[in-house]
Amino acid sequence: MAASMKCAWARCLSTILLNSTKHRCQISQPLYASCSNITGDSGNDEIIFRKAEGEGGTDQTRQEAGPADDTKKHRRDPGKAFTDVRVQKILLRLTGLDLDKVYEYRAAKGAGVAKVALMSDQQLKKVYESASYKALRKLQMPPVLGAREPIDEVLSEDPELEGLNTSKLVFIDISQRVPLKKRTIVVREPNGTLRKASWEERDVTLQKYFPQSGRKIGLPRMFQQDNLECMLDDGKHEYILNRACSQFEIDDPEYIRVTQRTYEHIDGNGKFEDLRSTRHFGPMIFYFTYYKKIDKLLVAFLEEESLEDSLDLVKLYHIVHPSCKSAEKVASMPDATPLEIIRAFAEMDATQKSLVQQAIQTYEKECDSTGSTQLRR
Amino acid sequence: MALAIRFALFGCTNRPFFHIVVMEKRRAQRSGKIKEMIGSYDPMPNQDNQKLVAVDFQKLQKWLGFGAVPTKHVAELLGLGGFYPIHPMSYIKAKRKRTLMEKQVADMQAKEETQETAAIQVNEDTQPDSTEDASQ
Repeated sequence: MAASMKCAWARCLSTILLNSTKHRCQISQPLYASCSNITGDSGNDEIIFRKAEGEGGTDQTRQEAGPADDTKKHRRDPGKAFTDVRVQKILLRLTGLDLDKVYEYRAAKGAGVAKVALMSDQQLKKVYESASYKALRKLQMPPVLGAREPIDEVLSEDPELEGLNTSKLVFIDISQRVPLKKRTIVVREPNGTLRKASWEERDVTLQKYFPQSGRKIGLPRMFQQDNLECMLDDGKHEYILNRACSQFEIDDPEYIRVTQRTYEHIDGNGKFEDLRSTRHFGPMIFYFTYYKKIDKLLVAFLEEESLEDSLDLVKLYHIVHPSCKSAEKVASMPDATPLEIIRAFAEMDATQKSLVQQAIQTYEKECDSTGSTQLRR
Repeated sequence: MALAIRFALFGCTNRPFFHIVVMEKRRAQRSGKIKEMIGSYDPMPNQDNQKLVAVDFQKLQKWLGFGAVPTKHVAELLGLGGFYPIHPMSYIKAKRKRTLMEKQVADMQAKEETQETAAIQVNEDTQPDSTEDASQ
């Protein structure tokens, strides 16, 4: 069942990507060698994509799919919104598939040398298709989740053991074939309490006994606040995000801090295109949408003159925040053009209204000058 | 010979490290006749003041089913880990250590008090006898 679901989903993803009008595969381009060095998947979680009950904003869909805007519970759990099928589709479309970027040479262990081969057009087409399917794996988005709840379970209190040890005793179960998240790790404190190990203790102990490549024990110095700022100023956004993905669990508060700081820095400098066609573009877009900060992003899309991307972004906003004013207005006008939808958003929900409206005006002028108001590219 | 779950001391000078193994009870631990290694215990605390104990509980239960018997110290450790009830020797050792600590603290306090009184006396001897003058 799970396997067939995966296949169906892979086919769905590939159709979306291959038909994405943002980046068409051009058959006459040479194919570069694939590098299997992109840092591996951090968690072992399967993302269960939930089907929305309909494409429209019905009440049922609202309850199931989108988070209510300001309740604390949903603030802490963006995961529910992220795993919505409609959200995933839009994020994938926006990410795009630039084979040259995905298969770019990176200096790393196991990186291969470029191969040159002589092929017929048909063979090349086949190779291109298989490369695109493989690229889907590299574009797997690390899920955006809320911070994990701290572990606070005491198994036993034995004050009569006070004085036996001056250090903690950490017990880990090293039985075979147990998933990392289910491994039992307990700690006997010097005062005699037996409790479950905290998340930090778990991460460190598991890394000692079941080391994962690309992870260090403890926080790498790169992720300390000052060093992180240096790296961000150097423009190493993708590197930071890749390393964070391999170092931390997705729901680790440290991971959330590092990624959110990186996204904010990108927002401040307007360097959204750095992450285009990488696995981090989707989560970044989702972060801005979830926390209602899409204005600069929208302006960037409009400046690029991609109406489709801008429309996708606003649609995503409406899915994630279905009770916002512009969503309700758009639901009441079924025949709205893309520009009208974006204008509705700019009027009602944009936090930097004037910026967005100006960008829309500039876009309209450009369109008029080139004589076309239809969807471009 | 009895099948035991016991410690086997490895490591080197001034750096003990125990493997938790299944082997005959009276055999030499480094004779190489270990039936299976099912864990480890590091008696030296690390930077976070932790002593790490790793046990393959599935294998442990399997060998217990075969009739292996944990030694006293392994049973104590497993008791502290929650697999067994706490060993009586753990309670006894803890009590002994607490008594020793209390005694040491009491001794130190007594020592400090005697030192203080000695210091006060010395001060009184060296100073002029103001109290005698006052009483007269």
